[in-house]
Amino acid sequence: MNRSINRVACSRWKSSSEMQMTTGLLRTLLMALPALLLGSQPAVAGPESSRVTFGLDVAPVLTRSGCNSGGCHGKAAGQNGFRLSLLGFEPGDDYAAIVRESGGRRISRTDPARSLLLLKATGAVPHGGGRPLSPGSEGYRAVLNWIASGAVPPSPGDPTVTRVVVEPASGLLVANSSRQLKVSAVLSNGARRDVTRAAVYQSNEPDLASVDANGLVRTGVKRGLVTVMARFGEQIATFHGAVPFTRTPAQAEAVSRRLASLTPRLDASPVDRHLLRQWRQMGVAPSDPVDDVAYLRRVSFDICGTAPTPAEIDAFLADRSPDKRSRWVDRLLERPEYAAYFGLKWADILQNRGAGYSTSKQRAGTALFSNWIRQALAANMPYDRFASEILTATGSQAENPPTVWYRTVRKGPEYVESVAQAFLGVRIQCAQCHHHPAERWSQSDYYGFAAIFARVGRKGGFADAEVPTEEVIYVKDGGSVQHPRTGATMHPRPLGGPEFGEATLEDPRAQLARWMTSESNPFFARTLVNRMWAHFLGRGLVDPIDDSRSTNPPSNPELLDALSREFVRSKFDVKQLIRTLVGSYAYQLQSAPNEWNAGDTQTFARFYPRRLSAEVLLDAFSQALEVPTEFTGGPGRFPAGTRAIELPDENVPATFLDVFGRPARRTACECERADAPALAQALELVNSAEIQRKLTAPTGYALRISKDPRAHPEKVREVFLKVLGRTPSADELAASLEHVRQEPDGASAYRSLLWSLLATNEFLFNH
Amino acid sequence: MLTVTGESFRHCDGLTRRGFLQLGAPLLGLTLPELLQREAAAAEPARASGSGKSLIVFWTDGGLSQQDTYDMKPDSPADFRGMYRPISTAASGIQVGERCPVQARMMNKIALVRSVHHENGIHAPSAHWVLTGAFGPTLARNAAQKPSLGSVIARSLGSRRPQIPAYITIPKSEAFGYQGAVYLGKSYNPFEVGADPNAPNFEVPNLTLPKGLSTRELESRQALLKRFDTLRRDIDASGGMAGLDTFKAQALEMVAGDRMRSAFDLSREPAALRDRFGRHRYGQSALLARRLVEAGARVVNINTGNWDHHNDIAKGLEEHLPPLDRAIGTLVEDLSERGMLDDVIVYCAGEFGRTPRMNGNAGRDHWSEAFSVMLAGGGIQGGRVVGASEKNGGGVADRLVTPQDLLATIYGQLGIPLNTHYNDSAGRPVSIVGTGQPIHELL
Repeated sequence: MNRSINRVACSRWKSSSEMQMTTGLLRTLLMALPALLLGSQPAVAGPESSRVTFGLDVAPVLTRSGCNSGGCHGKAAGQNGFRLSLLGFEPGDDYAAIVRESGGRRISRTDPARSLLLLKATGAVPHGGGRPLSPGSEGYRAVLNWIASGAVPPSPGDPTVTRVVVEPASGLLVANSSRQLKVSAVLSNGARRDVTRAAVYQSNEPDLASVDANGLVRTGVKRGLVTVMARFGEQIATFHGAVPFTRTPAQAEAVSRRLASLTPRLDASPVDRHLLRQWRQMGVAPSDPVDDVAYLRRVSFDICGTAPTPAEIDAFLADRSPDKRSRWVDRLLERPEYAAYFGLKWADILQNRGAGYSTSKQRAGTALFSNWIRQALAANMPYDRFASEILTATGSQAENPPTVWYRTVRKGPEYVESVAQAFLGVRIQCAQCHHHPAERWSQSDYYGFAAIFARVGRKGGFADAEVPTEEVIYVKDGGSVQHPRTGATMHPRPLGGPEFGEATLEDPRAQLARWMTSESNPFFARTLVNRMWAHFLGRGLVDPIDDSRSTNPPSNPELLDALSREFVRSKFDVKQLIRTLVGSYAYQLQSAPNEWNAGDTQTFARFYPRRLSAEVLLDAFSQALEVPTEFTGGPGRFPAGTRAIELPDENVPATFLDVFGRPARRTACECERADAPALAQALELVNSAEIQRKLTAPTGYALRISKDPRAHPEKVREVFLKVLGRTPSADELAASLEHVRQEPDGASAYRSLLWSLLATNEFLFNH
Repeated sequence: MLTVTGESFRHCDGLTRRGFLQLGAPLLGLTLPELLQREAAAAEPARASGSGKSLIVFWTDGGLSQQDTYDMKPDSPADFRGMYRPISTAASGIQVGERCPVQARMMNKIALVRSVHHENGIHAPSAHWVLTGAFGPTLARNAAQKPSLGSVIARSLGSRRPQIPAYITIPKSEAFGYQGAVYLGKSYNPFEVGADPNAPNFEVPNLTLPKGLSTRELESRQALLKRFDTLRRDIDASGGMAGLDTFKAQALEMVAGDRMRSAFDLSREPAALRDRFGRHRYGQSALLARRLVEAGARVVNINTGNWDHHNDIAKGLEEHLPPLDRAIGTLVEDLSERGMLDDVIVYCAGEFGRTPRMNGNAGRDHWSEAFSVMLAGGGIQGGRVVGASEKNGGGVADRLVTPQDLLATIYGQLGIPLNTHYNDSAGRPVSIVGTGQPIHELL
């Protein structure tokens, strides 16, 4: 560890007014900070570039003031006849728009302050966009100087920005405090200039630390990790900040003692040691481990989307072997529910959409594809093969069900965006029309990627709908994609990868699949690992899970790297990955916070609860009440007992599923599945005909248990086991008995008891 | 709920923010939902004694043209004047466009503000500005999202009756998502009706007790749920549990009573009155809003438009303006006839107005330099015009009014203390009105 960095952090802590830190606590925190304090960038020496240029002095003002933003002059059509390139990525075009177009009236060389550009921007003449610049501001003066010095056009000889440096690059932050960042641009001529007041900033966790227009980072009461992006021109740099959880030396001592007691166990695990390291850095101690009953419920829902039955719970509790958790996990992974539940997840991601494909011949497509996915998962098809078979699919849906992916994903942009989001964890949508504002992706990256799919051919069956029935996917002999600005024909090239060889007979998609699934691919394994981590641990190491960027880094990079390497080494064995995740220490923690980790949402120091998803919840109701849901759709009705997680597509009417957030499968983003609470959900629980039907069905559990001759205490115990997966506490038992004994109508008594347990958060959430 | 006492505001449990911060770890460790729950619990008694007033908003999504409606410029050149003639109104000296005859008739009850101004011309951040009082997030501007006026009112005052949601949008929230609660907590998001009240089969699902469920059994379910729903709420930092708790309690009360169901039952209104409101989404939404407010809703937001008429504005206005005018005018009239107008504010606004001068496509573009909003009821004095735009439109000529001033006016009339602050998710107290001042000329 770098000693000078220690001193920087040290003085910052000492100057903090939040508390008096003792050297003891400082030592505890700083010893634990090797990865956090990556070290500031080395200072770059060089003369300050003084010549005023369009690219370095004017375009950044337009960006900072929002003139060239997507809602204003930066949109494709411009605004009121004045069009700028989005975020200033095309200085040449912007120069032409400002200086040449509109009869040159936008600038006045004779009286620069009377330039229309400035008069509009300051609101001196009416301007629909308000007054983004104030007269006399730095930005105003920069533009004025440029005009006054002759409005020199950008030229190839102008210095360009080769990189941007943020100082510090990382550091500890104190809650309720602020810290000024310094941003410098390193220019192609070797000069370096301070662009702190010309850069654009963005925080990835504004709740934790916001950043203002001049790079002042402000923290509040929340604790955790934050990344602040600074952009100048096309170049981006980041500041990684951490607000530790410990507040007093006594707490630091206690946390450190607790972590020390866990060290032998956690350090021995290739996953857990990275968690431990981060907990040390952040001064946070994990919650207590969960008991067997809670673990079984949690892991059954997460692997099989299914609640454990009372018989399973009893058997699990009776099992005395030390490795019983892992053995039960193995068993869960072999159940058909595992394939059905994860099949549902993949059918969302792969947009296996039924809506719009409802003719009798089309309808079969989604069922075929969802069966194919399910079989692949059940057989634990290696993930590299799974992805390749989908991407390179040819033929008809009947011969090769993965071609159904090509039924939904039909055009250049859809190929690019779906593949990038689903398999590479990258949101590249922005780069269709302009350089990505927070990443390195350009339009060339986008259209090079699109060129991979240029030879996808389609032969229709007969077109009896907008989308042909029984379409056949094949590889055409030719086909190309042009760059929309330059018109150049693009060579197939994967994101950040090398161009594919030219004029080969091979399907470029096969080359894509090879590139993607090679051991060194930086995206593929990580994206799947992160997706699965989010599934089991409640939040991605990269969050959102499909928005990986240098400006949105993983919360624990070493952990993500370790898991990804292991996944590749296992030859993309998904079940093995699941075993690793559910066997991790973090997965086996209670969700209840302790005195040190309250408010933690990033370091996995406790289990993060989530509401059961729509299909899982509906099935859990059916299972607890022993009344299946009747699904209509397609021709007639699904077989009795079909579960919601087994439905082939989203085009099956079910209000319950819709109000609880079933996605329409319009995008490859898992975010399409909504988990926000809503009054409509509560009304569905309280008052829907479907729940009432399940409670009152003559063949249902409610009626059966009410007529069961056993004594009430035994029956109440079973009801609790069935709904909540645990036995009642003494108080709960007493309350339930009082209720059933007072209620003259036995059926109604058990209905109410069952309903009230089904409506608890304990039932509705996996926790 | 935060109550406000002079300079330093107090937390529900009597602590000042300073005291709160000084308490250290145990209390600092509270999660947001936990705080919200505490505050919600403490707020219950306050709600009962709170103001009896409500708000109905007509949101003109996309930006309504002020120069064709509330701020006519008959003496301007033709390309500014537009296609409509001005007409006189019941209030002497006030004119409006000829497609607003119903509001014209009610102008003694209606006030116009012709000098609203903010400094952005893009839909999303402008909508944010008008709905929340703060310039919103854009690509170039990394501002945090703020809660909408509906959510602020819902949080501050709650529903007037527990069976009715405090904040309802018809048919649903606008597309930018700026009509939500953000850091106030998910339970203050609007209840979305989700259907067109003018549709023949208009119905809000799950408001009727299903067959075989008696009120008595429902009560027993409710009592048991209270006993068993005891999972620690601090395990969830997402706000999901807290939100669902509120909604479950609300749903149970809603279903137990008849109030919500009957409020949504437009067939209980005389056909003649339904005709008067207009058999159009706007008219029936206005009538439904009145019924919901009568039943206890605090804020009903009706989303109208799209009014983003860059091309052929005449066509767009001919389609949308007469039903909007009829809905607003008839609502004011109906509230007044029922003696409810003093208790209900009617407010029509959008993210901005439209350019004073017609563009080359016979349309008008975005304009936030000076645009108009309409207000009535709830103590707002009718027959008044506040502020003026320049001769041909353009900038504000007199009495600039900001979106925060409008919020301050509305909050003040509803009885919300203007020095109320709510903590954002980073724990910083944020004023509900910023620098906004009530428009005293209207009061």
